[in-house]
Amino acid sequence: MEPGDAARPGPGRVVRALRPRLLLLPLLPLLLGRGLRAGAAASSSGAAAEDSSAMEELATEKEAEESHRQDSVSLLTFILLLTLTILTIWLFKHRRVRFLHETGLAMIYGLIVGVILRYGTPATSGRDKSLSCTQEDRAFSTLLVNVSGKFFEYTLKGEISPGKINSVEQNDMLRKVTFDPEVFFNILLPPIIFHAGYSLKKRHFFRNLGSILAYAFLGTAVSCFIIGNLMYGVVKLMKIVGQLSDKFYYTDCLFFGAIISATDPVTVLAIFNELHADVDLYALLFGESVLNDAVAIVLSSSIVAYQPAGLNTHAFDAAAFFKSVGIFLGIFSGSFTMGAVTGVVTALVTKFTKLHCFPLLETALFFLMSWSTFLLAEACGFTGVVAVLFCGITQAHYTYNNLSVESRSRTKQLFEVLHFLAENFIFSYMGLALFTFQKHVFSPIFIIGAFVAIFLGRAAHIYPLSFFLNLGRRHKIGWNFQHMMMFSGLRGAMAFALAIRDTASYARQMMFTTTLLIVFFTVWIIGGGTTPMLSWLNIRVGVDPDQDPPPNNDSFQVLQGDGPDSAGGNRTKQESAWIFRLWYSFDHNYLKPILTHSGPPLTTTLPAWCGLLARCLTSPQVYDNQEPLREEDSDFILTEGDLTLTYGDSTVTANGSSGSHTASTSLEGRRTKSSSEEVLERDLGMGDQKVSSRGTRLVFPMGDNA
Amino acid sequence: MERQRRFASEKDEYQFQHQGAVELLVFNFLLILTILTIWLFKNHRFRFLHETGGAMVYGLIMGLILRYATAPTDIESGTVYDCGKLTFSPSTLLVNITEKVYEYKYKREISQHNINPHQGNAILEKMTFDPEIFFNVLLPPIIFHAGYSLKKRHFFQNLGSILTYAFLGTAISCIVIGLIVYGFVKAMIYAGQLKNGDFHFTDCLFFGSLMSATDPVTVLAIFHELHVDPDLYTLLFGESVLNDAVAIVLTYSISIYSPKENPNTFDAAAFFQSVGNFLGIFAGSFAMGSAYAVVTALLTKFTKLCEFPMLETGLFFLLSWSAFLSAEAAGLTGIVAVLFCGVTQAHYTYNNLSSDSKMRTKQLFEFMNFLAENVIFCYMGLALFTFQNHIFNALFILGAFLAIFIARACNIYPLSFLLNLGRKQKIPWNFQHMMMFSGLRGAIAFALAIRNTGSQPKQMMFTTTLLLVFFTVWVFGGGTTPMLTWLQIRVGVDLDENLKEEPPSHQEANNLDKSTTKAESARLFRMWYGFDHKYLKPILTHAGPPLTTTLPEWCGPISRLLTSPQAYGEQLKEDDVECIVNQDELAMNYQEQGSSPCSPPARLGLDQKASPQTPSKENIYEGDLGLGSYELKLEQTLGQSQMN
Repeated sequence: MEPGDAARPGPGRVVRALRPRLLLLPLLPLLLGRGLRAGAAASSSGAAAEDSSAMEELATEKEAEESHRQDSVSLLTFILLLTLTILTIWLFKHRRVRFLHETGLAMIYGLIVGVILRYGTPATSGRDKSLSCTQEDRAFSTLLVNVSGKFFEYTLKGEISPGKINSVEQNDMLRKVTFDPEVFFNILLPPIIFHAGYSLKKRHFFRNLGSILAYAFLGTAVSCFIIGNLMYGVVKLMKIVGQLSDKFYYTDCLFFGAIISATDPVTVLAIFNELHADVDLYALLFGESVLNDAVAIVLSSSIVAYQPAGLNTHAFDAAAFFKSVGIFLGIFSGSFTMGAVTGVVTALVTKFTKLHCFPLLETALFFLMSWSTFLLAEACGFTGVVAVLFCGITQAHYTYNNLSVESRSRTKQLFEVLHFLAENFIFSYMGLALFTFQKHVFSPIFIIGAFVAIFLGRAAHIYPLSFFLNLGRRHKIGWNFQHMMMFSGLRGAMAFALAIRDTASYARQMMFTTTLLIVFFTVWIIGGGTTPMLSWLNIRVGVDPDQDPPPNNDSFQVLQGDGPDSAGGNRTKQESAWIFRLWYSFDHNYLKPILTHSGPPLTTTLPAWCGLLARCLTSPQVYDNQEPLREEDSDFILTEGDLTLTYGDSTVTANGSSGSHTASTSLEGRRTKSSSEEVLERDLGMGDQKVSSRGTRLVFPMGDNA
Repeated sequence: MERQRRFASEKDEYQFQHQGAVELLVFNFLLILTILTIWLFKNHRFRFLHETGGAMVYGLIMGLILRYATAPTDIESGTVYDCGKLTFSPSTLLVNITEKVYEYKYKREISQHNINPHQGNAILEKMTFDPEIFFNVLLPPIIFHAGYSLKKRHFFQNLGSILTYAFLGTAISCIVIGLIVYGFVKAMIYAGQLKNGDFHFTDCLFFGSLMSATDPVTVLAIFHELHVDPDLYTLLFGESVLNDAVAIVLTYSISIYSPKENPNTFDAAAFFQSVGNFLGIFAGSFAMGSAYAVVTALLTKFTKLCEFPMLETGLFFLLSWSAFLSAEAAGLTGIVAVLFCGVTQAHYTYNNLSSDSKMRTKQLFEFMNFLAENVIFCYMGLALFTFQNHIFNALFILGAFLAIFIARACNIYPLSFLLNLGRKQKIPWNFQHMMMFSGLRGAIAFALAIRNTGSQPKQMMFTTTLLLVFFTVWVFGGGTTPMLTWLQIRVGVDLDENLKEEPPSHQEANNLDKSTTKAESARLFRMWYGFDHKYLKPILTHAGPPLTTTLPEWCGPISRLLTSPQAYGEQLKEDDVECIVNQDELAMNYQEQGSSPCSPPARLGLDQKASPQTPSKENIYEGDLGLGSYELKLEQTLGQSQMN
């Protein structure tokens, strides 16, 4: 065996080994504890047992109860932290203090508690026993151990690298507040990512889709590569200086580049949202950060999977490289398909059943289906988080239109709360981890190198790409936008989760520490500097997202039949490339009608020979909707998509009383424009909801009179 | 060679990790199926199968498939390792396997005779949850939701009866079941089906206490749908909610009853210790739960958190969860704490929340309740086939069936008789029969039974409990609608029509009502109402008379500090302090007007939402009970705005 191999015990395997049954515990990390309550077990022995064994049993029970109690206490710590955060945030929001976002605050509180736990609690040694039994040559998932005549069942928790054995027996309390890193991937990240996908502002997102994709894919790759190379230089330097005590390979550097490329400008976005900064900038940043995460996850796992076949495991090997690329593509497209398929299935189910009469059932179905995506992807070996992201986008694009008004707000609110809790939990855990994590490796050179690298990486990613994009874009990305995007390269939950996933080797521990510091720095300093930066860069704020379109691309006027505003139409067309237009028309003509109640009936869009199928798939509401005047301008597909959404609303809500749709929709359209101010204060989804509820008001009296 | 081995082990781990996802996926699909089926049933107005029943059916089918269609794998896992060095079982075990160290976590003790079945199917093994999941994850939302949606007015009107049924009734039922089952156990020993000394009287009592937790979720759902008499509904619901708490604590105290010498004889000291334990845990959990709710109420009162509904909802959720965790950390019963936390939250905090948050919290917990409940029932169906240590004993099962009916009868009829002596508004015979009939067993009984299946009697109990739950949910649940018509219980009562008759003419109608209310609630309760109205409500919410008027002079500064400015505005409605029970409801309505100025836009939105809903009253009351009262307030606000 290679010596290098021994030191680096196959991260992929460790990761997988560490991932065990956590999936079982979806709702609450509470279950991390074994929680074997004593009480009920007391009478289990039944007949009187010998004294000694009873005593031992009692000891075990006590221990189990003690550990359950400690689990509760550690969770309680986090929950109280979150409560404190919420209260402080309220205070800040109330006083309009913008320099510190809730996530930053959660980290500060986490830090404080971490300090207290670290230096305020006595170090009790764990009562773990290490024994060497040599009967078996493999690790089984369950182990039955015969202890002086009694049988105990043990379940596999994970593999421990030899260096960690000592640290296992340290402060109990610190151990308790250290979660299994897989909790982040299986419990905390999915709601965050799903929410991000579910609340992607659709219209602006699709308008800028090309640029967003370019930033997300090319940009992440560029940034990963540049950071990796720079870090490799830094590592070489450290070797010369003699500060590096262990191995650090080029693949490790690339891995670091991949995890640190996941930007998470939640702080910046929150401020943008509050100040109503330019929508295009918002869409670019948000879309980039969302897709970015997905790319970074898959990228890092494919870098881990890069294992050259030859003797030298760290030389370049074309076969292994292409295999990694293949893995990247495979996992990405697999997860994408998985997410999209479940979204489509949900859309079909909600379309063809009248589930919207029972919002609770509908919400539950929605939740379960979205969760199934995650599980399905994990079960098939894809990345659940990525699948969940695309599932969220698909759900927002199709299923959302089929839901009842109440379910819309319910699902929005449900995922909003989950997202909020999970996000703040992660950030407060980050603060805590700085002190409670037991294997930090602080290396000043590496940290400084990493700081320089991420800024250079970000710059090398934004400016050249923006230049290229501006060649093709009609509506250029201004310099101030570029500077702002450069500035908003915050790192957050995803980078942290990826870094903490594997902290077995020296290199990984150093990366973890550095990532933690980078997250702190970017969230506090850059997050706090957003407002000054915005005013310094002269980025217009207070833009109302939907007041913006009329001057910009006039599509509303066109749609309302004001006249052929050819300039506006052209711009829209040019902006989105040919392939996207193709997709839009496909979406509008086929997918929307199949999956939702809106759009033109399939009978008109599909060729004649599949008429039967088309009739079967088209919902009866669609025919009522078909308003001749709006059918004409089908080339303005982009905004049409938005409009159909409004149709969808009215049809769904009015499902009881049909007939008066046309009047209500047109009225509704006008209403949206006139009172956009407060409607659009929340995100789009909520906006839709409000609009539609207004629509209901218009519809119902009519139904009553009839 | 080395590489191959590693490869194999990697593959093993790979499979191992995905099993978790697959298990959960199975449950997810079962639940999705259940939801679709239930929708079909609701759409066609089938009432004989409730969603929980449906979940059980699907669970059964899936269990059957898993049991008989999957090949038994994983032969090696049954091997037992002996380690001479170990003298006790540590919570964490580090095992060194060919130079690699694995960490193992203590799971449970297995009694000797259970080892063989363990060598069976790995999938079956995987589909078995850790029983603590029920107590730590699935039950808390259910119980909290129950507490949170207790309909306040009717609940407090019948508080005396409900408490009697819950405490005395559960104790009676526990003892009666214990005695009857003990008789059957003796018979079994006589018939040679059971070894002497296996099954003690304490075991029987344990069974009795876990079987006393009734859970008529099916019946209540039907009542709700048909709008059955609210008093009957409240009695049943209140009883079942408090029942659970009592049964859990009772079970716990029985299980720690361990006399010093002979475990079968009566030992006064141990007995009193158990009783003391019961009282201590119950009181402690109660205090813990209400303390957290009071903290939440104060926080929501004195901060203007209602500007940010999301933060408010988050805070509400987190603090309610903390109640559970704190109780667990303090060695109390988290579920009981959560229940009382829910009741207190509904009574005080709910009034301080913004209307958006009221909606959100209701919906959030409703949703969690729905999911958790269906998961449990689904798991029950699954457990009948996948649980590997079933002991079917016909005699015991028969005895248990008999026992629960007799015990239910002994609980309801005598207590109702006694209560009717004191009640002005009697509990009629048909109500008593209905209550007798609604003795369904559900999630709590199951969770208590599955918690410990180590010994043979416990396994027998578990099997019997499972069968009882199946039987009662399917047969009784399905028979509710016929039973209702047969007993001539009036249906289609609008829960809020009662209420609506009163509000317009508070002053007059109350004089009539007052006497009834007064006589009904005993002196103690009236005292509590007075205290609640004069001190607690003003302190914790924006409603009620200002503290400056109710508190004595000398604590003027404190009272001024604690009274919210809104309270002064409503002094004119102060006159009818005596009709406390209704005032309670009224105060909630005042409150609504009081707090909404805090967010004018929200109020605006409220009106808009209300107008489409008023014509469709059907719709309004279809939601949960608690939601009903919420809706009512909407109307009130609407009326207000129209007047303006």
